[in-house]
Amino acid sequence: MSRSSDVGARSPPLPFNPYQQQQQRYPPMAPPAADFPPPQFFARPPLSNPPLDPTPPPPPPQQLYSRPPSSMLSTPPPPIPSKAPPFASPPPFAAPHQFQGLQGPPPSHPPPPPPQAPYFGGSPAYQQQQQQPLPPPSQGYFAGIAPPLPGVAAPPGHDIADEFESLSISSAPGTAADVKVEALPRPPPDSCDTFAQPAWSNCHPRYFELTTNAIPASHSLAARWHLPLGAVIHPLAEAPPEEQVPVVDFGTSGIVRCRRCRTYINPYDKFTDGGKYFRCAICNLLNDVPMDYVCALDEQGKRRDAMDRPELSQGSVDFVAPMEYMVRPPMPPVYFFLIDVSVAAVRSGILQIAADTIKSCLDKLPGYPRTQIGFLTFDSTLHFYSLKSSLTQPQMVVLAQVDDPFLPMPDDLLVNLSESRLVVEALLDSLPSIFANNENVESALGPALEATTSIMSEIGGKLLIFQSTLPSLGVGRLKLRGQEAHVYQTDREPALRVAEDSFYKQMAAKCSKLQIGVNVYAFSEKYTDVASLGTLAKYTGGQVCYYPGFHAAVDGEKLTYDLSRDLTRETAWEAVMRIRCGKGIKYSVFHGHFMLRSSDLLALPAVDCDKAFSVQFALEDTLLTSQLAYFQVALLYTSSSGERRIRVHTAAVPIVQELSVMYKEANIGAVVGVLSRLAVEKSLNDKLENARQYVHVKMVNALREYKNMYAVKHSLIGRIIFPESLKLLPLYVLALSKSLPLRGGFMDATPDERSAAGYQMMTMSRPSLLKLLYPALIRLDEYLLQVMSCVDWIAKNETIVYAQGSRGGGVDSPPQLPLTAEVLDPRGAFVTSDGQRFVLWLGNVLQPEFVAAILGPQVAHSSDLRKVPVVEQDNDLSKRFHALLAKLRKQNRWCHQQCVVVRQGESGRELQLVHSNMVEDRGAGFPSYMEWMVQIHRQVQQKI
Amino acid sequence: MAWDLALWILSFLAVAAALGIIVYQLLCLSDLEFDFINPFDSSSRINRFVLPEFAIQGVLSAIYLIFGYWLMFLLNAPLLYYNIRLYMSKRHLVDVTEIFNQLEPEKKIRFYKLGFYLSLLCIVIYRLVVSSMEVILESGIASMAEI
Repeated sequence: MSRSSDVGARSPPLPFNPYQQQQQRYPPMAPPAADFPPPQFFARPPLSNPPLDPTPPPPPPQQLYSRPPSSMLSTPPPPIPSKAPPFASPPPFAAPHQFQGLQGPPPSHPPPPPPQAPYFGGSPAYQQQQQQPLPPPSQGYFAGIAPPLPGVAAPPGHDIADEFESLSISSAPGTAADVKVEALPRPPPDSCDTFAQPAWSNCHPRYFELTTNAIPASHSLAARWHLPLGAVIHPLAEAPPEEQVPVVDFGTSGIVRCRRCRTYINPYDKFTDGGKYFRCAICNLLNDVPMDYVCALDEQGKRRDAMDRPELSQGSVDFVAPMEYMVRPPMPPVYFFLIDVSVAAVRSGILQIAADTIKSCLDKLPGYPRTQIGFLTFDSTLHFYSLKSSLTQPQMVVLAQVDDPFLPMPDDLLVNLSESRLVVEALLDSLPSIFANNENVESALGPALEATTSIMSEIGGKLLIFQSTLPSLGVGRLKLRGQEAHVYQTDREPALRVAEDSFYKQMAAKCSKLQIGVNVYAFSEKYTDVASLGTLAKYTGGQVCYYPGFHAAVDGEKLTYDLSRDLTRETAWEAVMRIRCGKGIKYSVFHGHFMLRSSDLLALPAVDCDKAFSVQFALEDTLLTSQLAYFQVALLYTSSSGERRIRVHTAAVPIVQELSVMYKEANIGAVVGVLSRLAVEKSLNDKLENARQYVHVKMVNALREYKNMYAVKHSLIGRIIFPESLKLLPLYVLALSKSLPLRGGFMDATPDERSAAGYQMMTMSRPSLLKLLYPALIRLDEYLLQVMSCVDWIAKNETIVYAQGSRGGGVDSPPQLPLTAEVLDPRGAFVTSDGQRFVLWLGNVLQPEFVAAILGPQVAHSSDLRKVPVVEQDNDLSKRFHALLAKLRKQNRWCHQQCVVVRQGESGRELQLVHSNMVEDRGAGFPSYMEWMVQIHRQVQQKI
Repeated sequence: MAWDLALWILSFLAVAAALGIIVYQLLCLSDLEFDFINPFDSSSRINRFVLPEFAIQGVLSAIYLIFGYWLMFLLNAPLLYYNIRLYMSKRHLVDVTEIFNQLEPEKKIRFYKLGFYLSLLCIVIYRLVVSSMEVILESGIASMAEI
């Protein structure tokens, strides 16, 4: 604060300013534009004036830095973190250079400078740099942003070794002897769950993450970026308890918004004229501040109460919406269950498990006491249940005429749960027994859907469909398709992945209109046409869960978990989402599960913390003249408690003139997030091969562009070079091409598996997507024995800490192996974890005692492992094993990871479960990782 | 030649109706684009008139074929083929769920149709005038012959 006296409106701001650091490090190329925004608001780092800050202050940097990475993604239940040692895990931002073999700079270069501090403030390294003399300026990044600083010379020949990685790969195929396979880049453990720290007052990247933290200033620059310019949006992502989004209530005066573009008040709005006006960050309009919101400004031009008001100091805020944001009173949470009770559903035990799970969740359904619930079951007939609270037993009405369904008793089909609790419980108890002997094989899903939508038409809500067979009666009946191999590679191929009958699209549109969000649970081993059924979820913000060949003993646990999570997680009802971008930038395409209500308004009848979206941006003007680009995501929703709220995430990103900065600031997680959605969407109207090619071309173009920028200058002709930030791009693109929705052709996956995985990928958040693409592979036997050896230490600490790991003590994860079949030692046991399930692979010559200890004695010699439930045995080894599984599951709470067991050499299953995950091996028509790199290198070298 | 005149009058009405439908659909699409109506209304309004337009165009082509107006039929044939193909592949209706992604192509195709119907209208008016002149002249000659 000592220098605050010389901080004028236009001079460089406070010393603790991350922005200032940039300004000094990156000297300008152009004088500041005339409408250069006063830099006052940058001088508001959360760290600078703690005494004025009664709001939950941002945790001190030290804490942020040392939080276990897993907690960045998922909120662990309170007791666990309190037990866990605070410094047990590696810092989330391990130094950029983590890979052996890739670290050394090319021999012709001077040694690299020390690893750069995370780009935006908040880390200890950053603070250190603040105190030290500034490092020599590198290239002209952020040209045009910074005011000229005296005494900073033009950049001398600067070492670029820190800007990209290079691999020496000879361009002749198959002769890549000089690069070790181990040297290829791989994601470090836990990197999926780790987010960068938010910059300035931006929202946390778990909510809104751009593919590059540098927006190009012109069309020509954007065209040279080649990768998608967009973002992954996860508006309701789960945050750890100390980072909950603050709630702001403006009372009756209404939320302060820009008059023209309707942007919500945010930390980047600049107050002027003693606080009487504010300038909207998005559209630059000068707005009046409402009388009761006026506050005096301090000498830097920021409001004196900025730190007391979350909406002026934090990027993510929940506004309480007053009456004018409602078209009707906030709806109560509504859950409606549409259950197929045909013979397949009864025999496989789905009905029993579903009824039990629903019953156990009745207490935990959000929104008590307003929650409403209803049931409808169907086979060739529809069964309605009157759940009137005055009854003791539910009344069942069977409607045999499915061609033109009507509601036999319109009133009591959807009831208040707290009033009719006993009747609902009685129904759930008796449901399995009513249909225990049902031999009906037909399934009238279409008519049941029509009846359901008319029951729910008044309020809307969440509709859960449990479908066990192909719909065969009434409207919306579906045919068997996708069985002929010759359809693949023809123009008729993409039709397999979209709804066959237009009924489903129309029904989805109707549901969206009536505020019904549909979640589809499909179970059949045979073809169920998930592509058509999933359409219902696709346009209503829902999800598709697919359990092929459901078997109650094995899959029951997973269904129970998934269903109870679906019923109990925080859900936003009757929501709409809109994205506002700064001047000159426009959203172009959205991807995910929603329906567009108007050109930029996403209708989401029910959205929850497990749904992510992506958006692509386009530049409107030819040249962006401002220094920062602003983005604001606003989700207007009704919370389960019946309050109308608006969740607003705001982010600001520098606009740059330099392509190298764009690549440097690229964010691999978001790039992969957008690319995979693009590829899945492409596969819906094009051949699989073209969808894969589409992503491939984008990647090669980007790498070629990058090479052209540096290779000639630095005589790296024979090398493949890639930006540090995108070093994993080839691996993830390879993994994406081998992933279930895009893999191979007819033989490689059933159409249902493909569709279900595709629907899932469209809604996945960045951490779960990266985990799915590159699963973790753990050698189990060695790891468990290692853990056993420190049993005493564990007992002392009364908690389970995985003390042994790849990087010395204190690492809480077992070492991860590269995903190649070569590491699968027949003497060992291995676990892969892709966020969806665990696959336990048992080697041929693994000690039988180990198998017996983990899976129970009767399993050790049994040959059929298909239906072996993995349950905890009464011994230490098994307990450790399950503790490991529990820990891995906790990182990934959105779906239950079922553990399946596979023995080496088991025909078919091994290939399907294990080898399909080995993305670094040859498979599905794609080369191994090494060959892939050679191939990319060759393509990058080619002149277009 | 009275049937000739009747036929051209009929085609004039038909083309004018088709033109009206196309303009209406374009209005619906641009209303949607500027957020004046919601996608549900917009698509149902557009879809209501898709088949009538196809029918008008089909009937017109059939009449030209039957009465031997080869040139007029050839003029109509490409659009007829396009419409039939669209109908057979069940892509003739606007998809309410994807209407925003289809907005540009749908508008484009309707602009082409608009241009086509406008030029057709010009031809039809010309032929209408010619044939009505013929009828008038013929009746004039006939009445002169009576004198």
